[in-house]
Amino acid sequence: MNWTRQTVALLVLALVLMLVGGAGVAQGQAVRNPDTLVVVRFGDPESLDPAYAYDTASSEIILWHVYETLIFFNGGSTGAFVPMLATEVPSVANGGISRDGKTYTFKIRPNVRFHDGTTMTAEDVKYSLLRFMFMDRDGGPSWILLSTILGVETTRDDKGALDATLFNRANQAIRASGDTLSITLHEPYAAFLSIMAQWSMTINKKWGVSKGDWNGTAAGLAKLNNPAKPEDTTLFTQASGTGPFKLVQWDRQNRQAILERNTSYWRAPAKLNRVIYRVVEDFGPRRLMLQQGDADIVTVNRPEQSQVEGVPGVRIVDDLPQLVVTGLYMNLKIDTTGGNPDVGSGRLDGNGVPADFFADVNVRRGVAYAFDYATAIRDCNRGKATVNKGPIPNGMFGYNPNQPWFTTDRARAEAAFREARGGQIWNNGFKFTVAFNSGNTTRQCMAQVLKANVEALNPKFKVDVRGVTWAQYLSLYRQSKLPMWIIGWAADYPDPDNFVTPFMHSKGTYGSAQGYNNPQVDKLIVDARNETDAAKRRAIYFQLDKIAFEDPITLYLQPSGLIVMRSWVRGWYNNPAFFGPYIYPMSKQ
Amino acid sequence: MGTYIGRRMVLLPVVAFGVTVLIFALLQFLAPEMRAAAFITNPNQLNALPAIIQKYGLDKPVHIQYYNWLRAVAHGNMGWSQTARQPVTQAIRSFFPATLELTMYSFIPIMIIGVWLGTAAAVHRDKTIDHVSRIFSISFRSLPSFVWGLLILMILYGRLNWFPPGRLSLDADLFVRAGQFRVYTNLMTVDALLNGQLWIFWDSVRHLMGPVLTLTMISIALLVRITRSSMLEVLRQDYVRTARAKGLHEDVVINVHARKNALIPVITLSSLTFVGLLGGVVITETIFNFPGIGRWGAFAAQQLDIPGVTGFAMFVAALTVLGNLAADILYAYFDPRVRLQ
Repeated sequence: MNWTRQTVALLVLALVLMLVGGAGVAQGQAVRNPDTLVVVRFGDPESLDPAYAYDTASSEIILWHVYETLIFFNGGSTGAFVPMLATEVPSVANGGISRDGKTYTFKIRPNVRFHDGTTMTAEDVKYSLLRFMFMDRDGGPSWILLSTILGVETTRDDKGALDATLFNRANQAIRASGDTLSITLHEPYAAFLSIMAQWSMTINKKWGVSKGDWNGTAAGLAKLNNPAKPEDTTLFTQASGTGPFKLVQWDRQNRQAILERNTSYWRAPAKLNRVIYRVVEDFGPRRLMLQQGDADIVTVNRPEQSQVEGVPGVRIVDDLPQLVVTGLYMNLKIDTTGGNPDVGSGRLDGNGVPADFFADVNVRRGVAYAFDYATAIRDCNRGKATVNKGPIPNGMFGYNPNQPWFTTDRARAEAAFREARGGQIWNNGFKFTVAFNSGNTTRQCMAQVLKANVEALNPKFKVDVRGVTWAQYLSLYRQSKLPMWIIGWAADYPDPDNFVTPFMHSKGTYGSAQGYNNPQVDKLIVDARNETDAAKRRAIYFQLDKIAFEDPITLYLQPSGLIVMRSWVRGWYNNPAFFGPYIYPMSKQ
Repeated sequence: MGTYIGRRMVLLPVVAFGVTVLIFALLQFLAPEMRAAAFITNPNQLNALPAIIQKYGLDKPVHIQYYNWLRAVAHGNMGWSQTARQPVTQAIRSFFPATLELTMYSFIPIMIIGVWLGTAAAVHRDKTIDHVSRIFSISFRSLPSFVWGLLILMILYGRLNWFPPGRLSLDADLFVRAGQFRVYTNLMTVDALLNGQLWIFWDSVRHLMGPVLTLTMISIALLVRITRSSMLEVLRQDYVRTARAKGLHEDVVINVHARKNALIPVITLSSLTFVGLLGGVVITETIFNFPGIGRWGAFAAQQLDIPGVTGFAMFVAALTVLGNLAADILYAYFDPRVRLQ
């Protein structure tokens, strides 16, 4: 019996020694894998095909690493450009943009080679743009070019049949001759350069066709258009681009994508030999990999931030501006049918809300003045967000910093609620739900803050907070069942049009779900879209900002981002338009 | 025996059919928009929801959806798994070897330690070893696997850097991909030995240690308890007393006369454990970032990846049927009474 006790004691002692002695393994360690950058994230890419990918997990890998665009963002700016696959940025002054603002001409850079050694031509660029437009999968990014170049949102009619006339129109709108590519837009669109900086990823036509890709003719469109699954596209897991890295493999079993340096890159080759994008869903191992140096850059969400602070050898860059706006949406036309649990009794009897509860602007103003922005930012966003005056993110062209905006003001909130529906709301009270997608603690916290604020105004006011799964969230949102909900919007390209349209247009993603229909707003949005004079365009956006304040439907916050990396990572810089770190200038030392 | 096995094999497609019908019936309760969730990766796609529903026929009546799915399966196509980013059959084929390897390496210590500890506890009833085995097995069992998993990861990787998560480290992984390394079985340790690459073998063993340790800790308790009680019962039997009375050595009495009979209930339990491990151990695989089938199955269910969940469920159902069959065969081998009936 004695030996057992001794053994146990020895074991415990050994364990303690190991723990104490083992501490500090990570400190002062040499650079791990100095020529390989390991980026660890929590989501798999959906497809590596540049015409299919429409999520950051996919775009982060291919955009500017494997494939390049005609022009590129200048440093950290989202509105200034430098040439990339084109030799200069088109402007009216250099003749690259026609007087009417509709035709853009790009001179294509000579002697740029694809990864297989073929030389890139204007024809490749044209082919890439056409392929992007006509792949047009449901829920894909093709609308971005379709709407600007052809003035349509999709290539198919209501029954899902391909409109064959569009191909001829596109073929005429995009012309390649020699080293010149010109694109004629449906209508002048001021954001077109922003779009080209992100959505003109150029692929290798000859190589692609040899792999069975679309041959560039109208006859092949049926096969290209709206593939049933991502695997059906040729570039799903293989690539031949012009970028500083080649795609070696996307290993879906071990959930990693491997890129390797392109030694015959048209600029100086990248400093890193290899880049590996790995998926590790759980934060625990992700954090430990960073601590041990097995990961160089890891995804860290705000609630996890404190767990990486103070880890030796780790650098956190915080307060990064992002082109993301989070909205708290009020639904002007709630679908109260079918026993909707989120509207209570469905009547204004103190136990529910009617369908048109938020149709009264005073109710919306009451909510906007009641919300405690400072608390929501401090407690829910760890102080890493700002109130945004309207849908256009602060710092972007069209944002009006001088626009008067809602501040937390209980007296005004009370006054607005007293005025709503001739005092009926104040006297009867109400009950409705603010929904968030469960698991998102930031949104949950904001919903709870709003609940506390509104309920403090009047004991008859009741707000429920409900978390629903992402799938259910989509369903309820789509059916306009939610009285209020919280969700974000990330820029497709850095331009105010990409924010005012989803947030305020009657057919916009959120505007339509909120039942918002303001003909004046719709007209202003289209006017601004087509206005090429920057000053006039800005004036229209200021007008829209003003309407967003006077006729509020959404409360806007702009969260800032953070990146967490080993301090041996060099050369990183931020641009809000990036989907992930731009690795070409980066190194480890 | 042959007809017995044959009858069981006939049962297999019936069970698989039942499982798929059940899954499709359950999915009927979900709105089409919810079933489209797997295809929405970005809130900017919300407007395309109706088009996505139409494209994948998610608004069709459930029996039509089931019929379409069944017809595709009959043509050898189990559908596209949106979560695995590959066809379902390929997903199962690519995720299963890792789980199989993990199961093999965990099952051996679970069985050996479990049966040994259980026997020792019964033989030395109410002695130190009995109490110690009870305390350890119960405390291992009473904390959830993610606690043990994280603890092991924090100490053995975070502190000591002995056993990292994943399946291979960077150098080994790049070597395996480089071309000279031939893949025979997709079991990394076996392939490493077949290629004569001892360092790859060692590297993959290092990566297996964490999850194997976690699984052993949490799975061992039941085995210890069952072996102990079954052993206690057998030790009270007349034939054990007779064996002792004959003057046989105590080791022979315990290991030959008693243990073989005490193992009968253990067989059922261990076959269930084996099948359970093969079907994937979600939490352990997730924590150790081990690319196994359980992690995928759970993720597919969360994301309502219908073909993925259905394929996974069919696979697990088949495993369970086969596992029970194996248990029954072993049962007959150990217990002549079963054979004679």
